[in-house]
Amino acid sequence: MLHTSGELSPDLANHRRFQDLRGVQWRIDLGILPSSSSSSSSVDDFRRVTANSRRSYAALRRRLLINPHISKDERNFRDLVIDNPLSQNPDSTWRRFFHKAELEKMVDQDLQRLYPEHGNYFQTTGCQGVLRRILLLWCIRHPNYGYRQGMHELLAPLLYVLQADLERLSEVRKLYQHYFTDNFDGLSFNDTDLSYKSDLEKGEDNIGIQKDEMNTSYLHDLDPKIQTIISFCDAYGAEGELGIVVSEKFMEHDAYSMFDALMNGDKGAVAMANFFSHSPSPHNGLPPVIEASSALYRLLSIIDLSLYTHLVELGVEPQYFALRWFRVLFGREFALHDLLVIWDEIFSLDNKKLRGNSENESEVTFRVLNSSRGAFISALAVSMILYLRSSLLATENATSCLQRLLNFPADVDLGKLIKKAKSLMDLAIDAINSISEPIHGGGLFEPGKPRAHGHGHSRSLSSDVTAAMSSRALVPESYWEEKWRNMNKEDDRKQAGLSKQVSLTKQVQNRINGWSEKVRMRLSKVTRSPLRRNLVDDLARLEEKNEKSVSGNGGGEENSSVYSDPVSPQGLSNNIINNNNDHENETDRSSVASNSSVNGDNPDLGLDLDSSPSPSITSVRYSSAEDVGSPLPVSDTPEEDLSFKEVKNENIIVKSVSNLRDRRPLAGKFQWLWMFSKTGPESSLDKSKPATSYVTEINQKNAVPSSSTADETTKPEAADHHNLKDLAQSMLENIEVIESVENLSRNTAEALNELRKISNILAEM
Amino acid sequence: MVLVLAIGDLHIPHRAPDLPAKFKSMLVPGKIQHIICTGNLCIKEVHDYLKSLCPSLHITRGEYDEDSRYPETKTITIGQFKLGLCHGHQVVPWGDLDSLAMLQRQLDVDILVSGHTHQFKAYKHEAGVVINPGSATGAYSSITYDVNPSFVLMDIDGLRVVVYVYELIDGEVKVDKIDFKKTSTATV
Repeated sequence: MLHTSGELSPDLANHRRFQDLRGVQWRIDLGILPSSSSSSSSVDDFRRVTANSRRSYAALRRRLLINPHISKDERNFRDLVIDNPLSQNPDSTWRRFFHKAELEKMVDQDLQRLYPEHGNYFQTTGCQGVLRRILLLWCIRHPNYGYRQGMHELLAPLLYVLQADLERLSEVRKLYQHYFTDNFDGLSFNDTDLSYKSDLEKGEDNIGIQKDEMNTSYLHDLDPKIQTIISFCDAYGAEGELGIVVSEKFMEHDAYSMFDALMNGDKGAVAMANFFSHSPSPHNGLPPVIEASSALYRLLSIIDLSLYTHLVELGVEPQYFALRWFRVLFGREFALHDLLVIWDEIFSLDNKKLRGNSENESEVTFRVLNSSRGAFISALAVSMILYLRSSLLATENATSCLQRLLNFPADVDLGKLIKKAKSLMDLAIDAINSISEPIHGGGLFEPGKPRAHGHGHSRSLSSDVTAAMSSRALVPESYWEEKWRNMNKEDDRKQAGLSKQVSLTKQVQNRINGWSEKVRMRLSKVTRSPLRRNLVDDLARLEEKNEKSVSGNGGGEENSSVYSDPVSPQGLSNNIINNNNDHENETDRSSVASNSSVNGDNPDLGLDLDSSPSPSITSVRYSSAEDVGSPLPVSDTPEEDLSFKEVKNENIIVKSVSNLRDRRPLAGKFQWLWMFSKTGPESSLDKSKPATSYVTEINQKNAVPSSSTADETTKPEAADHHNLKDLAQSMLENIEVIESVENLSRNTAEALNELRKISNILAEM
Repeated sequence: MVLVLAIGDLHIPHRAPDLPAKFKSMLVPGKIQHIICTGNLCIKEVHDYLKSLCPSLHITRGEYDEDSRYPETKTITIGQFKLGLCHGHQVVPWGDLDSLAMLQRQLDVDILVSGHTHQFKAYKHEAGVVINPGSATGAYSSITYDVNPSFVLMDIDGLRVVVYVYELIDGEVKVDKIDFKKTSTATV
């Protein structure tokens, strides 16, 4: 028993006339039946159109399903030289026969593997026969496409909804049995026939007629939907049986016309057949699938630049996964019932070409998706990618990315996905219509923003990119410098009794420009508990290391001349920072054995972080930068991960920002962030505890070192989203505090905006 | 709908270098389900070539065949028909219908395919059908003048067999068709 369950979004439900008759609705959407919006479409129109399409299919079938053994008499007239079995002549019926046999072989191969989980419908011989015939006929009709794998998966749901319609119809029939006037005897006679009856019978007839009249009058009282269903299925309406809109006999015909309309795009822009052709389109020399995939990536780059660059750098070409997505219209990514909902949405959108004037055609870059429907398809694809964002960013090789993309998780909240896709649609339309421009890799982007705020923000995103780029560089150093100084003063005071040996010291390549980006990414990965644990640990370790080095525990060497890195041109104005770095440099890079009780995982955190090239090494070094990254993705090798990130951040970083001044503020930012998470563990991971002002923060920090050991041991097991949310909240509070300051400079305001965005991201997690 | 190719007397390389080009272009793998070959190929390379057209290959021994392991006669059942195969040099007088009919009764087959005369023949008599595909290369024969390259393709479909004869006359391929129907009682 098939069921058509699947929630339709509420706004969709309003204007769809046949919610529960998906077959009819899709036929309307695909253009086979007259659209319900046109006022003139009556039941008769529907029936007539249905009948016509069926007739054409029947004729087609008769013509094309040839049997070379048809009556000898006909064949004698044909020239045998042409028409013999071995003939290579294209006109020969035998040749067509062999061609059909070949196609049939290919189609059968695919059909056998179609939807095994719904095998009790799809694997029956009847259904398979229908599918086979439809596919064969379509392929013979369109020899330039031939049969490609995947066409059967486009056809199968169409047949399924028709069958579901039938079942719905039978339900309705059962409920409203006497309204279905299939029974000729029950048909009410009109007055002219009455006169034929003799007077004798008049008595009984009156009663019978009265009953019929009652029935017909009740018909109008019925729910209009039921009414429509009944009149659709009336065997005596317009065009008789051929016009019964939901009919079992003509399911094959209907499925064929739906499939044909879907593949041809019904004179619109999105023709599925395009995705199956390999020939490059004359417009831009690319096969349509490649074109569509690049449209997809273009849209992704607009919405989420970091994810886009991540994927591009890994070498994940869009067509590796998009081919399957497009060709089967996501049929392989979702279960059948979910797929029906998605196709509801896709089909409900108009397929007319956008910007229909011919002079504008040349400007359209991605013609193959140039309609609302196409825009929605690409938006849906992007929203699916975004759904996997965290795991995609976490992986560092292309294979696992592809694995993730190709095995879309089964338990997806469809409503959210669809809503998100709708919100991206405007952008998608822009992307499709835009003349291709180079996508600048520079600039730090706010990946989380569009997701959190949806439609309203997306328009302003592109302008935000450039703003983001500049703002980061212009955070006033004084602000952060002060914070840093304050913190370090506290550090100095809390020395003794540190049993923890933070022996992990790395020379920290300074990626400050990408720092907030990195932190964000790291935190985004903190959705997994082991990562979270490590993040907190690392930050804790950093804290200790700082303290230790500051206190001079490590080795005791005090020289500040051990720098191997080039000093920034501006010179080091912040001595404290320098000191810190000195000590960090000295301590050798041994494993984190001492912290392993807390850390749990790989003790060899002796990451060769120096190996990652840093063209812009500055004097400000943060060992924690690498700490944070080191035990990260548990599934992948941390080293590559990290160095990759370094490299990537390098690429992202605007190299022009290379002076200490700019780095320090971000360094301070990091400290500030780190502080938050640091204070987390001690207060049972309740990161809301951090005070709403920096002063109190610092005071708390005083308490931190003493309890740092406790921190390590009290493994933040329960680290979960709450922490981040609290962190985000606290960040927001702090931002508000800062903003309350009267005269904020522009730079400060911008910096605060960045911080706000960060907090939003965190809140989202 | 079984397509059976009947071919023979190629005499490659002794009397002919190869099949005519037009024939070769028609014989593509994948269309034919069986090949029955009367013999006198003569060398293994020809055997391999025929095998590449169709894996189901049946050959009987002709007097010039280099492979002595081929049988003298063979019987195959395809669909509703029983086919008999023999080269024909054993049946004396060569090409005589009555003698061939005797062999057919001996083998108890509906269709007897034999060669050696290098001339296409298709007889029907009350016991069945006798087909001679001729020589596919048009090789020289001591008993026939003006040998035209020819071969036969049989389309066996239920109780009906359609025989297509392909002949190369003056450089052009000519095709002819003969229909035979088997009465179901004849098999008894």
